[in-house]
Amino acid sequence: MTVIESQSSSPAALLRAAAVVVLIAVGIFLPRLLRATSVVYSTLTTIAIFAVMCYGVDIVLSYLGEVSLGHTLFWAVGGYTAANLSVKYGLNGWSTAVVTIVLCIIGAGFLGAVTLRTREFVFSLVTYAAAVVAYEIAFNWDAIGGSDGIVGISALKLPFGFAAYVGGTQEELWPVAFALLLLTLAFIGRFRRSRLGTTALMVQMNPALAASLGVDPRKVRLAVFVISAPITGLAGWLYAYQRAYVGPDMFETYFLVMMLTAVVVVGRRVLVGPLTGTAILIAQQNLLSLGGDWNKIILGSVLALVLIFWPAGLIGLFRRFGKART
Amino acid sequence: MNVAQQIVNGLVLGSGYACIALGWTILLGVARLVNFAHGQLYMLGAFATWYAMVTLGLPYPLAILVAIVALAVLGALMQGAMMGLVMTQNLTSLMIVTLGLGYVLQGGSALIFGGNPQTLPGTLSRAKVDLGSLWFTWQDVLVLVATLALYGVVWLSTQKTRFGSVIRAVAEDPKLAELFGINAKVVYLLVFVFECSAVALGAALVAPRSPILTSMGFNEVIMTFVVVVLGGIGSIGGALMAGLGLGLFIAFFGAFLAQAYTTAAAFGVLLALLVVRPAGLSAR
Repeated sequence: MTVIESQSSSPAALLRAAAVVVLIAVGIFLPRLLRATSVVYSTLTTIAIFAVMCYGVDIVLSYLGEVSLGHTLFWAVGGYTAANLSVKYGLNGWSTAVVTIVLCIIGAGFLGAVTLRTREFVFSLVTYAAAVVAYEIAFNWDAIGGSDGIVGISALKLPFGFAAYVGGTQEELWPVAFALLLLTLAFIGRFRRSRLGTTALMVQMNPALAASLGVDPRKVRLAVFVISAPITGLAGWLYAYQRAYVGPDMFETYFLVMMLTAVVVVGRRVLVGPLTGTAILIAQQNLLSLGGDWNKIILGSVLALVLIFWPAGLIGLFRRFGKART
Repeated sequence: MNVAQQIVNGLVLGSGYACIALGWTILLGVARLVNFAHGQLYMLGAFATWYAMVTLGLPYPLAILVAIVALAVLGALMQGAMMGLVMTQNLTSLMIVTLGLGYVLQGGSALIFGGNPQTLPGTLSRAKVDLGSLWFTWQDVLVLVATLALYGVVWLSTQKTRFGSVIRAVAEDPKLAELFGINAKVVYLLVFVFECSAVALGAALVAPRSPILTSMGFNEVIMTFVVVVLGGIGSIGGALMAGLGLGLFIAFFGAFLAQAYTTAAAFGVLLALLVVRPAGLSAR
């Protein structure tokens, strides 16, 4: 530990801290630099929200090597919690966020515990089935919105003591989305170096070694799954305020395919990978859209082709070209 | 509410579930592969049948054949593309790739067949049989008989023939099987092609019961999941029993409790079973 701490005061680390501060500053003013129209703000906010959504899947897929197909469930839990609590009880953003986190942890803990003793792909099957079942419940249960969903979610209110930040427009939501993205990145960065993160990686890379060290891979799977759920949940929470509407369409396969594609397209185990992947995919869908059906074909093909031909993603391709040249 | 009628309904539903689940059971149990495009393949099988009947004007049996052949070709193409992942047993990537391919199929079908719901024309599905207070259609009889026959044939050919043992050998250890002169690639290809044709047949038989949509995808075959896991992954007899049992459960649950939450109830049964018997019902 002392070695790591002494490194943090070296000039390189200072430089890195300064670079991070500059990047954050650029990030906040990024929309202004891009001649802020409301389209720019909404695209950037969407990218930030979707990137956070993808990071939930990222830690399960990249560091554990398991496939959760149920993260649309947590995405919807966030959206439905924000919508129901703010519309019916007038709760502010902090409360709805806390409830989202708690519900996601309970849901993931339950699903993970039930599948604890089963084989890996049963985990994928059950998570997928859970999302479909949750869709059916959301569609039929009128008390939480039913097939029409909930319209007219009021602006996001985040009180700080006596003052409150209100995110009503896309422009006002951008700093919130950006902050959530930064928090997520910091959290993922910490997770990569944490005991759980390294253990998960060991289980994925060398199961025999993990077993000989007394690690139970199923418990690691459960822990990582539980941690990943609130990340995607919080993205759904903000998405509800951004759209001012939630409905059963939050369960669409689109979000699931989007999460997986954003993670694999750049390459697994790259900190900014899912963010870059999301930015590329959203830019295609928002700015170079070919219509819904063609966008589906593009998104699905990107996912399949990357895994078939370049399993290491764009970053692997980049590295290979780099090697070839030197 | 008639109990005997609900038993008939349950058998009708259950034979449909088992029929659609057959290909998946073989793929998952015998070859240990997963295919998350199963729902879209079901949708495509239904639309291929519909297209052959409505646009090409073929009779129903020929249309079923067209659907089977079309999906067999598609299956061969898909498996050809995924062969590298299959041979390295990269299950994680395979699950995601099939999900992506399913999404492509959904987008492609919407472009080709349009976004409107369609119904398969069928004389059998309108031919009612009334037995006192009971009723069902000839289509239901066809599904039940075909399902039982298919399961019988598949069970015999995987357990009693040389080809069946070849498939199981490849599933156990593809590399070792190749040492014994078995071409594992061909075996995987055949099993996947079988899965696709089986789901096409299932779709052609079951889909006339309800309207079909290109976006129906997995929600339509979610019960297949439950059947395969309940039956104990890959157990052919287990899948048949699980299918029929689930059909009965759904019929009674829908009739006496809540029609809207039948899927949720089936899923609840599945979760309870996973806790009690993680390997499925048929495991010893």
